[in-house]
Amino acid sequence: MSAKHKGKGPQALTANHLREGFVVWLTPDMGWSPHFKDALLSEDETVIDQMQAQGDKDDSDNLITGVYFIDVDAETKLPARYRERFRVGGPSYDTAAHIKKHGVR
Amino acid sequence: MYRYDEFDHDIVQSRVAQFRDQVQRRLEGAITEDQFKPLRLQNGLYLQLHAYMLRVAIPYGTLNSKQIRQLAMIADKYDRGYGHVTTRQNMQYNWPELTDVPDILQDLADVEMHAFQTSGNCIRNVTSDPYAGATSEEVEDPRPTAELLRQWSTIHPEFAFLPRKFKIAVTASKSDRAVIRAHDIGIEIVRNDAGEVGYHVLVGGGLGRTPIIGVTLRAFLPRVELLPYLEAVMRVYNRYGRRDNKYKARIKILVQETGIEDFKAQVDAEYETLDPAEIAVSDSEVARIAAYFAPPEFEALSDEDAEFDAAYKADASFANWVDTNIATHKAPGYAIVNISLKPLDRAPGDITSDQMRAAGDLADEFSFSELRTTHQQNIVLPHVKKSDLPALFKALAAHKMADANIGLIGDIICCPGMDFCALATARSIPISQAISERFSDPARQRAIGEMQIKISGCINACGHHHVGHIGILGLEKAGVEFYQVKLGGDASETAAVGDVTGPGFSHDELLDGIDRLVDFYMSTREEGERFIDSYRRLGMAPFKEVLYGT
Ligand code: HEM
Ligand code: SF4
Repeated sequence: MSAKHKGKGPQALTANHLREGFVVWLTPDMGWSPHFKDALLSEDETVIDQMQAQGDKDDSDNLITGVYFIDVDAETKLPARYRERFRVGGPSYDTAAHIKKHGVR
Repeated sequence: MYRYDEFDHDIVQSRVAQFRDQVQRRLEGAITEDQFKPLRLQNGLYLQLHAYMLRVAIPYGTLNSKQIRQLAMIADKYDRGYGHVTTRQNMQYNWPELTDVPDILQDLADVEMHAFQTSGNCIRNVTSDPYAGATSEEVEDPRPTAELLRQWSTIHPEFAFLPRKFKIAVTASKSDRAVIRAHDIGIEIVRNDAGEVGYHVLVGGGLGRTPIIGVTLRAFLPRVELLPYLEAVMRVYNRYGRRDNKYKARIKILVQETGIEDFKAQVDAEYETLDPAEIAVSDSEVARIAAYFAPPEFEALSDEDAEFDAAYKADASFANWVDTNIATHKAPGYAIVNISLKPLDRAPGDITSDQMRAAGDLADEFSFSELRTTHQQNIVLPHVKKSDLPALFKALAAHKMADANIGLIGDIICCPGMDFCALATARSIPISQAISERFSDPARQRAIGEMQIKISGCINACGHHHVGHIGILGLEKAGVEFYQVKLGGDASETAAVGDVTGPGFSHDELLDGIDRLVDFYMSTREEGERFIDSYRRLGMAPFKEVLYGT
């Protein structure tokens, strides 16, 4: 799957890691990070083309899956869409965190 | 109970091997994601908002202690120490890694479990009454019928590519604890005037974006005709169901567009072309399946138990728990125990691995090793001696599983919403937690009485909001969550779809609005009325007024 960007403003490229399934973002050195703060953000069409080429390559190399561009708010530097902000922050409630905090399963 | 034959054993084992190979080929790049996706979905594996999600089938919600301990082991070894009980009685894991899934499926297969029919456009895992085999209300145990349907539909080549998913639920009691009227096909086992046992067949119910209450297709279908008749229904659906539009593909739309009388005629015409004898199963086969569900050997007990009575009088918290969480058993001296998975600070339906193990151990000690999952996202121990209830209550309390809120305002149905689900428009878990917190006083909960709040994080309605006494749908606009409210829905044998009240609310407005709704109901209810009864008597207008605080 290849995702041509149609968005506005700065773009980031996101996907899920194929093996683990966890959310990742493309970084400036064309690697993938599970942390959005490491993400490459760009409005430059040349860079965006490079990002897309990298996404397509890593998709066909079976490193990631479901790759697509997201809009990023130029001021807050956070994803523009509500849903994408959840992919950055993780669940606001998770029983896993509850278990960790209280040390009981 | 469900005892998975040789037939199942071979299919499940070969499926595990097959999927291991498919995952390997996916990782090596021999197959693409587009080719792999339908294969993983056939094994219950979704890709969600943050990670993969595995949905494990629990046929008609029946589990034994060994199985729930294995589910706990899987939660610890491959996931994050918990699982989530769904409204279709299955169990979901939120964090499995793709490379572990073949091993998980093998571990499931070791205890005769799998993830078939939990996804895709097939006949999904058949659900049933969690009180099956235990309630005094039932005509007979509905699980042999559910099991017959499971065997008939499992990997049936004709039903593998239906226009859309297909959900069947079976009950055998007047009280509907399986929401059969919100299923593609709902089956109620009934007795006719002649004393014969047969099936009341309903069709075309469903939730999602177009909620519809199922209607009667056959008021009394003789027992031997069940499979051939359903086969005719499936063929009509397969032929005429709308494949052009995913949102109109469920059988409920076909039934609406065709009209129930014409639909019935089409099914009858199709039935005429079938050779029922070829499809129907023999009496001996039915008897063989029924034998799997033979009741355990109940002791001959009196329904009066001095030990129980003394504890009930002495301990108010025990008495409250008995009043809300215990249902009448068919055998004297026994009780059906509901274990609430709705503690204040958790997501409805979540159960930790330690709790799963505790539930398994308590089932061994007190309930013939049997457990059930419920569509209310709770757990049931079906056969507990009344004299054991005080000890069981103590043990449950030690594992934070003794909340006395079954059927009350704290017993909320809630889907994962935006915290986990890729399709969500808003969060649902924090809303359920905030409502539980707001109404955390147990005495107030009991005073309010039966109340069903159901919350979905999008229009797909996995949290059943259409049939909640108060239904809540999470939506989002310009990055802000808001919540639409429905009133007057009902998931029971008097099923109804709720009415939308009007514009949505912010999180805080919603909580205050529900508070006012409840206060209003408490102040105007007549003797013995539940919230839903007052709503039916008074209609939407006064409730809407207090909800919007106008
Ligand atoms: C992977 C996460 C999930 C996805 C992708 C998903 C997807 C959907 C979709 C698309 C529908 C609408 C179907 C239609 O109208 O044709 C639906 C309905 C439904 N889902 Fe889910 N769902 C998910 C999780 C859940 C969970 C966690 C539960 C239980 C808590 C659940 C239970 C149901 C039920 C009961 C319905 C409505 C019944 C009906 O089919 O009419 N689902 N789901
Ligand atoms: S109702 Fe929507 S948000 Fe909730 S589980 Fe279903 S698809 Fe996801």
